[in-house]
Amino acid sequence: MLASSVQRSKPTPYPSKARSALIRRAVVVLLVLVALTLITISFRSPTSGALHGLQGAGSTALRPFQIAATRVAQPFRDGYDYLSSLSSAKSENERLKREYRVVRAEAIANAAAQAKLAQVEKLLQFVQGSTFPKGYRAISTGVISPPSGPFTHTLTIEAGSSHGVRLNSPVVSDGGLVGIVTNVFPNTAKVTLLTDSYVWAVDPRTGVRGGVAPGPGGTLQLTEVSKQKVVHENDPLITAGTRSARYPDLYPYGIPIGRVSAPPGATDTAMYLQVQVQPFANLGSLEAVAVLVPKNPRR
Amino acid sequence: MTLFDGVKAAALIFVAAIAQVSVFSEAHVFGAVPDVLLVSLVAFALLRGSVSGAVGGFFAGILVDTASLGTLGLTSLVLTLAGYWIGRYGETTGRDRAHAPFLSVAVVTVLYQIGLLVVHFVLGESAPAGAVVRSLVPAIVLNLVLTAPLYALVRRLLRPVERDELTAEVQLLG
Repeated sequence: MLASSVQRSKPTPYPSKARSALIRRAVVVLLVLVALTLITISFRSPTSGALHGLQGAGSTALRPFQIAATRVAQPFRDGYDYLSSLSSAKSENERLKREYRVVRAEAIANAAAQAKLAQVEKLLQFVQGSTFPKGYRAISTGVISPPSGPFTHTLTIEAGSSHGVRLNSPVVSDGGLVGIVTNVFPNTAKVTLLTDSYVWAVDPRTGVRGGVAPGPGGTLQLTEVSKQKVVHENDPLITAGTRSARYPDLYPYGIPIGRVSAPPGATDTAMYLQVQVQPFANLGSLEAVAVLVPKNPRR
Repeated sequence: MTLFDGVKAAALIFVAAIAQVSVFSEAHVFGAVPDVLLVSLVAFALLRGSVSGAVGGFFAGILVDTASLGTLGLTSLVLTLAGYWIGRYGETTGRDRAHAPFLSVAVVTVLYQIGLLVVHFVLGESAPAGAVVRSLVPAIVLNLVLTAPLYALVRRLLRPVERDELTAEVQLLG
């Protein structure tokens, strides 16, 4: 009995589990194949075909649900946006402030450029006009630093010897005479204003001549006009130019200087008339000027 | 899985797909988008097994591709494989493990993104690998945040089946 062989039963392969594994794998393989087929068809004909039409119809059918979902989510989205905007308000405020500073600087720069442009246009008219002195050419330039106060009678221009500016060159603006170059650097030059210079002038209406010189309180006066001469209020004054060929004047003839601003007067003991002069050039707000240099350098 | 169970599952995936396409796809957080559909599918696959997961993934992908007018079958392919794999994990080693949903979501988020990237690349479409890689960590975090409530919701909707109802080729000893 003990020696007799015992037959072992065959191992059973759990048929239900094996079948379910097969089904499972078959399902997933089938789905993957269907997906690959859909991708292939969709990729080969993305804008036409039955599948494209089916997808369009499906999309149309889903659209109401999507709209409904969007509407349902809208209050939550609004709430999120509100909270998000609250949290970012501080940084946004800083950013807007920075942007405002940039825009304000640009606006100021634009306004300054606009003012400068207007002066340049007037200056151009003056340069091309009939009163522009013959034998001279104009070097148009901007003003780097205007007179900084009542005690300063100079300004700096952004043109120098490299641009052709020479010492003692007259400087004009759109209105008239500004001053004279008193120091030259390669790219800049210093201009002493009319309010700190002496210019020989003439009244073209009456022919009266005199020197325009600084008066009290930063004003200008026409000096050395004898009491017998007649000068009228609002008479214009222009540069008198050269009186002697041997000693040419620094200022050519005909540059407008200003006008007689008040009726001339004189005390009994005075030798000369007291003539107040109002300069044509607005010396307090110059943006652009022109330096007059002779066309013939030997002059 | 009963017919009523199937209807509930279909409704769940349908709602998740519509919400994903319409609402959540626009919610960009740190360059990533929370994927309600993927998390719902993971929960469903964990509770109902690989076959249901694969079918659910296929159905979800078809909905997404149809609603977004994308290349039909593309999302289906990736979600089918994702649903199947998570279903198998749920049937075997992940069964009754508390961390299973979180682990599944984290892994599937990465595989899903890479899978989509590969398929798009193979089809010659735009495949921005850098952007996908950069958004991986935020995407994982966002999906993990969604995991607990969504898994609880799906579990409540689809009651877990008995152990024997799930197919399991791996013999469980514990």
